[in-house]
Amino acid sequence: MFDFLIEGFGVALSPLNLGLAFLGALLGTLFGALPGIGPINGIAILMPLAYTLGLPAESALILLAGIYTGAEYGGRMSSILLNVPGDAGAVMTTLDGHPLAKQGLAGPALGLSAVSSFVGATIAIIGLTLFAPLLARVAVMFGPAEFFALMVFAFSSMAVMMGKDPIKTAIGAVLGVLIATVGVDGGTGVMRFTFGMPELYDGIDFVVMIIGLFAISEILLMLEHAHRRSGEDDMPPLGRVFVSLKEVLYCKGAMWRSGLLGFIIGVLPGTGASVAGAVSYTTEKRLSDKEGTFGKGDMRGLAAPEAANNASAAGSFVPMLTLGIPGSGTTAVLLGALMLYNITPGPMMFTERPEVAGGLIASLYIGNIVLLALNLPLAGVFARVLTIPRWVLVPAIAILAFVGVYQLHSDLTAIYLMLIIGVFGYLLRKLGFSLAPVILGYVLGGLMEQNLRRALSISGGDAGILWQSGISLGLWIAAAALLVLPWLLPKLLAGRSRRHAG
Amino acid sequence: MRIAADRLLGLALIGLAAFIAVQSLQLQVPFSYEPVGPKAFPLGLAALLAVLSLVLVFKPGEDGEWPAPALALRLLGVLGLLLAYALLFTRLGFMPSSFLVVAALARLFGASWPKALVTGVLLAAGSDVLFTAGLDIGLPGGTWLADIL
Repeated sequence: MFDFLIEGFGVALSPLNLGLAFLGALLGTLFGALPGIGPINGIAILMPLAYTLGLPAESALILLAGIYTGAEYGGRMSSILLNVPGDAGAVMTTLDGHPLAKQGLAGPALGLSAVSSFVGATIAIIGLTLFAPLLARVAVMFGPAEFFALMVFAFSSMAVMMGKDPIKTAIGAVLGVLIATVGVDGGTGVMRFTFGMPELYDGIDFVVMIIGLFAISEILLMLEHAHRRSGEDDMPPLGRVFVSLKEVLYCKGAMWRSGLLGFIIGVLPGTGASVAGAVSYTTEKRLSDKEGTFGKGDMRGLAAPEAANNASAAGSFVPMLTLGIPGSGTTAVLLGALMLYNITPGPMMFTERPEVAGGLIASLYIGNIVLLALNLPLAGVFARVLTIPRWVLVPAIAILAFVGVYQLHSDLTAIYLMLIIGVFGYLLRKLGFSLAPVILGYVLGGLMEQNLRRALSISGGDAGILWQSGISLGLWIAAAALLVLPWLLPKLLAGRSRRHAG
Repeated sequence: MRIAADRLLGLALIGLAAFIAVQSLQLQVPFSYEPVGPKAFPLGLAALLAVLSLVLVFKPGEDGEWPAPALALRLLGVLGLLLAYALLFTRLGFMPSSFLVVAALARLFGASWPKALVTGVLLAAGSDVLFTAGLDIGLPGGTWLADIL
């Protein structure tokens, strides 16, 4: 049953892949620590460069996964030291992390968050090893109709879990799917929405899309924050550099509970680190906050979201690897990256491409240890990244974005397209959209249409096939339940949530 | 009715949905045995988009924070610089165009002139070395320069 893992370690332990796991962890931590750049931006900016190295699929994936998990580690820096979360997943980290830093315990706080991240990620990677092959075995029975229902379920779970505005999440996903329809239709060879431009015949390039959507829009957003304080002014001193064993043991309950919780939340399609952090923090607070110290610098309040963050990052690989349905925006980007290699993640990957599936999982084990080893002693070095001024950071991102897109086909059309998508992404973000549904829709859109059309062509046009099997019917019901619950729950809770929102 | 950003957005998206629907209907589809052609999926999406946008028009969310005029001007400045970078990228070549754009961007993001110029030199030269020597990426040498020489 664990043959894939043994083969995977064989792949991941090759000198090249070990080096890439290390490089990914290092780059990821650095990019995650950069102010305003979360994991998804880090991967978007670094991905084209990973391609130019001409790596085989499993090596590229190992590098990108290292960047992903590394960025989750790095994201905590600005949360703890500056009270500025690097991305949505790190919001909860600020609640107890920053008070700790203000008490002169920044060093131990960083150390503790590295240890909790390690524990959370370890729990989730073990979970991934155990459950992914099982789920893959179930998923082999999925036909096109089941996959279509599964994608609908993923979108509705995302619309609900992403929080504040389900309508905008849904619109974002629809826009993403629509962008995926641009180009030649695979079934008939008809050109759709290309407006006679040959550059669009192959659709909108994945790299152009994510660099525009994330990196360029980030540049524009950063201008707004340029006036606000930058890291140089009020970075608290790190204090003692290491976290003591006593402090770690004090938080062990919070760590493993949140690790498990984070893993489960990460597995659910469409829900990522932000939900995991929030749920684990509130759970831990309810369980252990006897003296009312949470929010004032309680170490357990820092350990819980950090363990959950990283656990959900690893957990979101489960649906991505076994079903081809990403569990978060960042895994959607990784999924798109795999598709560039003509590998469609799904149940067959464990049997047909075990070196990719196993190599990735094995490299997560290795990367996790590398990250702990890097982050404990080097926290002070990484923290200095926070003081990089925006006037260096922004032009550097611009160069990386331009070169990354230009080297695809050595033409300028892609660059103009990237700028247009960047403005589009900026407007969406200003209008309160999250970009994760857009990228999820874009990555899944093509598969969704293919599966729908394949299902209907099997049934000769009878739409009944879409909910005939037990699996697909269950998924439709689950999707519908998810969409109805947010309307029902507030009424059941007697307007409690409305007061919170207000 | 209050004019909210979400209302305008909703109306614009309904327009987009209509545009997509018209475009899909105009597709010339060759005969095929498949029950579902290339039109149905975008049409369905357009319908879904229109419905969701209608909700937005009738139940708009809070207005976000929009940039003040001075900031909007600087935003346009950044966009203009990025566009200029795209225009100059192959014509002037990687190093010179990067130097100019990096220095100007750094200036827009609050660096002093000396700092901006030094950043421009270091980033342009450093990334050129990294990309060509380190990663073996071909960067544009500049057509204008080639014409002159």
